[in-house]
Amino acid sequence: MKTLTRREFLKASGMGVALLGTSGVTSFAAEAKRRVVVIGGGWGGATAAKYIRLSDSSIDVTLLEPNKEFISCPFSNLVLSGVESLQNLTMNYNGLRKHGVRIRHEAATAIDADKKRVRVGKDYLEYDRLVVSPGIDFQWDQVEGLAQAKDSVLHAWKAGPQTIQLAKQLQSMKDGGVVVMTVPPVAYRCPPGPYERASLIAWYLQTKKPKSKLIVLDANKDIVSKTGLFKAVFKDYSNLDYRPAQKVEKIDVGAKEVTTEPGDKVKYDVINLIPPQRAAAIAVEADLVGGDKRWCEVDHVTYESVKQKNIHVVGDSTIGLPVPKSGNVANAMGKICAAAVVHLLKGKEPPVIPPGNTCYSWVNDKEAIAVVNSYKIENGKVVQIEQKLTPGKSVGTAQNSLAWRASIWNDVLG
Amino acid sequence: MLTPLLAFVLILAALTFTPLNAAAGPLDSPGALKSMVCSACHGFAGNSPGNTVPIIAGMAPSYFKKAIKDYAEGKRPSPEMEPYSKYVLQVGLDEVADYFAVQPRQPARTKSDPNAVKRGAALAGQCAACHGPKGEGDAFRAMPSIQGQPAGYLQLQLTTLKENKRKLDDAAQDETKKTMLKPLTEADLGALAAYFSSLK
Repeated sequence: MKTLTRREFLKASGMGVALLGTSGVTSFAAEAKRRVVVIGGGWGGATAAKYIRLSDSSIDVTLLEPNKEFISCPFSNLVLSGVESLQNLTMNYNGLRKHGVRIRHEAATAIDADKKRVRVGKDYLEYDRLVVSPGIDFQWDQVEGLAQAKDSVLHAWKAGPQTIQLAKQLQSMKDGGVVVMTVPPVAYRCPPGPYERASLIAWYLQTKKPKSKLIVLDANKDIVSKTGLFKAVFKDYSNLDYRPAQKVEKIDVGAKEVTTEPGDKVKYDVINLIPPQRAAAIAVEADLVGGDKRWCEVDHVTYESVKQKNIHVVGDSTIGLPVPKSGNVANAMGKICAAAVVHLLKGKEPPVIPPGNTCYSWVNDKEAIAVVNSYKIENGKVVQIEQKLTPGKSVGTAQNSLAWRASIWNDVLG
Repeated sequence: MLTPLLAFVLILAALTFTPLNAAAGPLDSPGALKSMVCSACHGFAGNSPGNTVPIIAGMAPSYFKKAIKDYAEGKRPSPEMEPYSKYVLQVGLDEVADYFAVQPRQPARTKSDPNAVKRGAALAGQCAACHGPKGEGDAFRAMPSIQGQPAGYLQLQLTTLKENKRKLDDAAQDETKKTMLKPLTEADLGALAAYFSSLK
């Protein structure tokens, strides 16, 4: 019989830490430390990484996120109207480090599902389970002239430098100017976001540049989310010209003009073009997207990809659940997916937990509206129980949104 | 070198200690898993950091269950809690209530204005009959603890009660509440909220 050294025995049995008298090791049967890699440190990925460690601190969790700081997209429309600063929306990842999440500020460049590993630079990171939360990419090629002009035509749809740039463009526009913003066709990140932005830009112009106007070109036939509430809000702004079924087809930055699908040409002084979207490239390249080549279909209980084993997808890049692409939903998915991953790694049946959605939209400098959705799981599928809207805009709802952000930012990162 | 005997002893030691370690996780209960979505607004384990969202850590199960049922039936108006109360009823009210009841409660993280606290203390005597001298509540009567709750939440509830948008089940109690709140101004309600929020 081969005799083992003490070190070899401890390593092989996975018991080293427990035998040294510290807590944290939960399973005698574990032959090696179980590894989870999380791609993307946004609302979904950061939450998943934290909650896996909270559930079982014996699991090795590595989070891959190229950005050193987390910047909240929710509330970033208030930066455009000068009511909020981007600094207040910017947080670091130290809270996750305290939970023992290993953070590498690098991008995952490829997923090798067969070998269960992720490419990071010249390295490979091996995993037992992978959580993919890569967010969205823009489909520049869907608008003629956009790919060449993408550095100067701002989307500001990922909070960061573009948010600041767009705010500056609005500030430096002469009074009497025309701002044009475009709403992409569904599905896109944050369904009410464009209408919140329209309200806040209109509020800003009304307050600071009263001769100016905002034209909203919506690719959709009607306001996509909180429809009645936004229609009522838009009546407050005589400077807001909302035009549905006007999908932007072409941009000419020289002529400062966009062309829409019906053939209308609209001139602008400041343009905010929010392009059509799909799941981020890494999810597309790893064949996690479905027949539409845009979004990732997942199991409604475990968030495991329906196409690739041992790979879970959460957040805005998913499709097929009756939930919006919101920060709150991504946070809920992150937690539920974390519970599923931990159970599956232990060989246990994953718990059945439905998500929830709480979504606030500010409509001026003091007031907000909200939509709240609750869900249940029926025959393995997420089904809505109820959707409730606020009766109208109110200061109270805006205050609730501030309580929400204090809580959920901490839930994601703290 | 590791002898078979030492290996056996080590395995035995591991088997003895592992269950103790395994029980320690903060999410190791069905109630914890069923409550996971709540932390988006109510903070981890129910310790809300926001000014308008109540702390539900350490809440008496009797009151927690009553509140959830009242939200679900629309007796307490809240666009946020009406859908989520139905979520809680769906996943299991007892387990969720029991989970939050045993979570250690931290005092409100929002700070109250000291002058408002002083004014509130002078007005608070009449609240003690039901809510206790320090606002600690009475679980037996499903009377909520208002001690150390965020001031924004307390003020909103006082306003809602004063405007009769939230009624009390017991008719006599409801009359008392109306009589007590009627002469109070919005500033008085703010001072009361600040006072009870400051208590630990």
